[in-house]
Amino acid sequence: MTVLEKESAIRPDALGIDGLTLGIGSGASAVPLLDGVTVRVGRGETVGLVGESGSGKSLTARAALGMFPRGARATGAVTVAGVDVLAAGRAALRDLRRTRASMIFQDPRAAINPVRRVGDYLTEGLRARGVPSREAAATALELLEQVGIRDPRGALRRHPHEFSGGMLQRVVIAGALSTEPDVLLADEPTTALDVTTQAEVIALLKEMQRTRGTGMLFVTHDLDLAAAICDRVYVMYAGRIVEEAAGTALFSAPAHPYTKALLEASPPVHGDRTEIKAIKGRPRSLAEAPSGCAFRDRCPLAGDDCAASVPATRAHGTSAVACVRPEEVAR
Amino acid sequence: MTSETPVLSVSSLVKRFGDVTAVDGVGFELMPGASLGIVGESGSGKTTTARILAGLDEPTSGTVLLAGEPVTGRSRRARLHRARLLQMIFQDPYGSFDPRQTIAESVAEPIRLHLPDLSGADRRARVAELLDQVGLSERAGGSPPRELSGGQRQRAAIARALGIRPRVLVLDEAVAALDVSIQAQILTLLDSLRRDTGIAYVFVSHDLAVVRHITDTAVVMRHGRIVERGDTETILRDPQHPYTRLLLDSIPVPGWDLDRVARDRRALDASR
Ligand SMILES: Nc1ncnc2c1ncn2[C@@H]1O[C@H](COP(=O)(O)OP(=O)(O)OP(=O)(O)O)[C@@H](O)[C@H]1O
Ligand SMILES: Nc1ncnc2c1ncn2[C@@H]1O[C@H](COP(=O)(O)OP(=O)(O)O)[C@@H](O)[C@H]1O
Ligand code: SF4
Ligand SMILES: [Mg+2]
Ligand SMILES: [Mg+2]
Repeated sequence: MTVLEKESAIRPDALGIDGLTLGIGSGASAVPLLDGVTVRVGRGETVGLVGESGSGKSLTARAALGMFPRGARATGAVTVAGVDVLAAGRAALRDLRRTRASMIFQDPRAAINPVRRVGDYLTEGLRARGVPSREAAATALELLEQVGIRDPRGALRRHPHEFSGGMLQRVVIAGALSTEPDVLLADEPTTALDVTTQAEVIALLKEMQRTRGTGMLFVTHDLDLAAAICDRVYVMYAGRIVEEAAGTALFSAPAHPYTKALLEASPPVHGDRTEIKAIKGRPRSLAEAPSGCAFRDRCPLAGDDCAASVPATRAHGTSAVACVRPEEVAR
Repeated sequence: MTSETPVLSVSSLVKRFGDVTAVDGVGFELMPGASLGIVGESGSGKTTTARILAGLDEPTSGTVLLAGEPVTGRSRRARLHRARLLQMIFQDPYGSFDPRQTIAESVAEPIRLHLPDLSGADRRARVAELLDQVGLSERAGGSPPRELSGGQRQRAAIARALGIRPRVLVLDEAVAALDVSIQAQILTLLDSLRRDTGIAYVFVSHDLAVVRHITDTAVVMRHGRIVERGDTETILRDPQHPYTRLLLDSIPVPGWDLDRVARDRRALDASR
């Protein structure tokens, strides 16, 4: 047993999503959204959730907070630091979001009330946990310093519109981590930022996460980014997980045809200039996907057997993959 | 070849908005069939430069020559002349399509405007040819813009821009909002269009990998100025300006060194 395994044997995972199936409506008008999604984030671990638009990344991340589309039915299990999210009532969910799980989004401006001062934004989470106001203010100041805001004292009194996108995202990160959550759900947190700002915000996120031992689910459409910063990566397609692999293995040994196709579709910035290969068709949501393997209308390896049923997940190399012939997916 | 006139020649371009200098002495040349990348951080003046090229903004000073001739003024004649030679494509072309027109009607619009003598049948044939060239089905051509996906809309925007056979296409973050698999489709489409038609590109993007793929030369902008220029490949392999180094090291790769990004930032801050 590694140290990490030993610890996780004693303390529950930061996040465990197990066979989550989600749908809205019923009967003929039923729309499936997620199918059997299983995602685990250990304590202090960085886990990527990658896929193109509509694949269900945000739905999965929000499920960890017990946030589901109106009228949705969820089956399976979602636990955050041992708390059963699907069974939790309103008060328990409020408590969960206040203390155990935080979320940051692509647009920091949507996360902060524009008419309130940054100081109030940062202290409210702490105050809600019963931290006295003087102490909360001191913590807020310390947090702003940690996330690299110049003149943190002045920043406490400023409004969101006085910050650039990158600086405001730092403020949101400070707020999300102020409550020392077990898990941080980061949904495309750097997608709207400059590449250089993205790198700086990522460095900050990783550092904050490392010192606090927070587990992080990092949602992104950027495979390179996920592979560069994540211990493990899940690849999603049409409402299902199609591959789980170590961050480093994704590039050297993609096990699912979709993962490989994504890699071949993105031009490299270093090394040889290689041809890019476009993937025919367009990404699909679960509701529009073909039966059996959802990728089969775009997959170069598809055969009749791919239509029979949704491929079971199985081990291949260091990956877990939902495909009937991963051995043909050499890079 | 060297005696050929640049299809686009920009010199000493300056644009001020009040006391903000958005573009500050930008100049470059684009030969027929060439592809030039403009990269740089947010707010560095890329879009402002692109808009001036397309005649959507007037420069405070400086000149833009298209096929060797100055393009100035906002008269109808001047605008038509410019549009005939240069077309622009934006990140999300949704706003530039009339929601009440079908895609085919929108694609026909510039042809109607610039080639009024073309018969209706010839125009329809040209539109069909264009839609086919960018890989849009007849059905997509008959749809209103809202029924198209982002990638299909971008194809439609390219078809519309190509209709009057311009010599330059200015693309501002034209593939930034697209999914990777769709982005690859548009990039390969742009590759083959340039090969087949000899059109030239000015390609504005924050994505250096994409810029490497689609351009031969590039300029790096910062605070309205060009801080580095050259062959795209050379810039990426051997960046000279501290900002270019920061930009390159900021790209996530296996074994990404985030401390190096921090060092680059300090070097950049110290350099000015
Ligand atoms: N119409 C305008 N009025 C006032 N300022 C403007 C206007 N348009 C641009 N600016 C300013 O000019 C500068 C350059 O803006 P520009 O949009 O060209 O940047 P960019 O390089 O395209 O950035 P991005 O990567 O974010 O698209 C910025 O400081 C911007 O705020
Ligand atoms: N509130 C909702 N009601 C109905 N369908 C939804 C809702 N939210 C998301 N969906 C659908 O679920 C699918 C996955 O969405 P999402 O998780 O947002 O994808 P991603 O974040 O991977 O782009 C999409 O087809 C989307 O249209
Ligand atoms: S199961 Fe078949 S269609 Fe699906 S990814 Fe594997 S080979 Fe392709
Ligand atoms: Mg999303
Ligand atoms: Mg711009």
